Amino acid sequence: MQGASLKVVDGIKSVVRDFLRKALESEAADAVLVPVRTPAKDSYAWILTNDQAVLDEAGPLAPTMPVQGAKALKSLTRKGQGTARVIAVMRPCEVRAAVELSKLNQVHLDNIILLSYDCTGAVPLQDYVGDPAGSEERFDSMLEARKTEESAVKPVCGICVDFSLVDSDIHLGLIGLAGESALLIPNSEKGAALLEAMGIACEEDTSGWMQAVSGLKAEREDKRSKALAETGASLQGFDGLHAAFADCVGCHNCQSACPICYCRQCYFDSEVARRDPAALLDTAIARGGIAFPGDRVMFHTGRMAHMSLSCVSCGQCSDACPVSIPVADIFSYMADLTQATFEYAAGRDDGEPLPLRQYREDEVEKVHEIVKGAEEEEVAHE
Amino acid sequence: MDKGFTPRITALLCQWCSYTGADLAGTSRLQYPTSIIAMKVMCSSRVDPVLLLKAYLSGSGGVLLAGCHPGDCHYEVGNYHTRRRFAILKAIFDTLGLESARLKLSWISASEGPKFAQVANEYTDEIKKMGENPSKKKMFL
Repeated sequence: MQGASLKVVDGIKSVVRDFLRKALESEAADAVLVPVRTPAKDSYAWILTNDQAVLDEAGPLAPTMPVQGAKALKSLTRKGQGTARVIAVMRPCEVRAAVELSKLNQVHLDNIILLSYDCTGAVPLQDYVGDPAGSEERFDSMLEARKTEESAVKPVCGICVDFSLVDSDIHLGLIGLAGESALLIPNSEKGAALLEAMGIACEEDTSGWMQAVSGLKAEREDKRSKALAETGASLQGFDGLHAAFADCVGCHNCQSACPICYCRQCYFDSEVARRDPAALLDTAIARGGIAFPGDRVMFHTGRMAHMSLSCVSCGQCSDACPVSIPVADIFSYMADLTQATFEYAAGRDDGEPLPLRQYREDEVEKVHEIVKGAEEEEVAHE
Repeated sequence: MDKGFTPRITALLCQWCSYTGADLAGTSRLQYPTSIIAMKVMCSSRVDPVLLLKAYLSGSGGVLLAGCHPGDCHYEVGNYHTRRRFAILKAIFDTLGLESARLKLSWISASEGPKFAQVANEYTDEIKKMGENPSKKKMFL
């Protein structure tokens, strides 16, 4: 794998800005989709633009993630690929969510060039809103130092293993490189074509960067499995589940912030999911009482069954939770497990089919193990 | 009359195979317990795992999902998809320390009345041994 070496003079953000500017000028792209700081300066919004002046104001790497990039991309491409070639600057988890959504036919990536970078993590939204200036500073120092400060980022960012090259078209490599250099790496034919159209030659060796990334990845994998095992240990049985979700106010914000939950009408918001008022008293008598809002464990567990196979551990659910339930840790724990069952990793590769869209007559071993009863009967029957 | 605990088992049966199999068990006058509350669905793959979860959290002693044998699906591949979806739910149950033994997947064809009766009997016995579903007494779910 080869890349183009870039010189970092005025910070990493300006390297990205310069690249985008050049892409627009050379007409290699028609527009860019980037996070831009809102006029009130206390948040970021996704902006689609081809205006250089707007680009000057763009993040384009945002400290926080109020809206998952894949959701912005979904608004742009939900009815098809469109005719404009757009460069979207997104975190690796946003790219992975976009890949999942494209498999689910919610996003069309044909005319989109995904540009991602070695991510040092996102500042929790509430922290950012509470102290925008301080958060900007902390994020900038993390970005320039190319090192994650766990206390400054979302808990899932500290244990993220897909912080670097994912299934994007172009990647900006930073980790393990000297302070004044960065690597622009084409990661697909589309990405390579764009760089070529812009006259950027990719002849730099990337092995040093790759080594640094895999070193950090190994470290993170270890940390992740330990942290998630801890989360899992507290989630045992009805009591564990109830304790985890005891504060849930039933707002379903986690579901609406989730990039993967794309259904227009969520089952859990539908009429059929609501209990029949006439039957509530009977249930209350049978159980000794009934809590409102009800069915919280069902909502969260049900959501695990619906979306954990595509969960990219972006942590938007935790950001959206008004009562600070560590939703993202819980769902990441479950996602790692269900995805491993099918030897699948959400967003890893857009050529890899969704586990529920395919099957094998002779199923993978783990599935066999799980549905053992039925399969044993089957053998006896034969 | 047996006054012991009789569980309620929610049975979701595919209409082409398992429901017809249950019918055959009835018309063949095979005995199976009244614990089975049968519901006909078009295909076992039509059953969203959340419906099984809902039955479990609403206090069903057991939840039985049955469809055609793999390879025999009326819709050709529905039950292969069922198998995967069921595996996910079961994995979630196991991981969260919920009783995954209360979930059962079975393949029963239209001609297998005796097998339906056998599965119904055995599963009822198994659930009887497990006792009441603890969710039945939980206020805060």
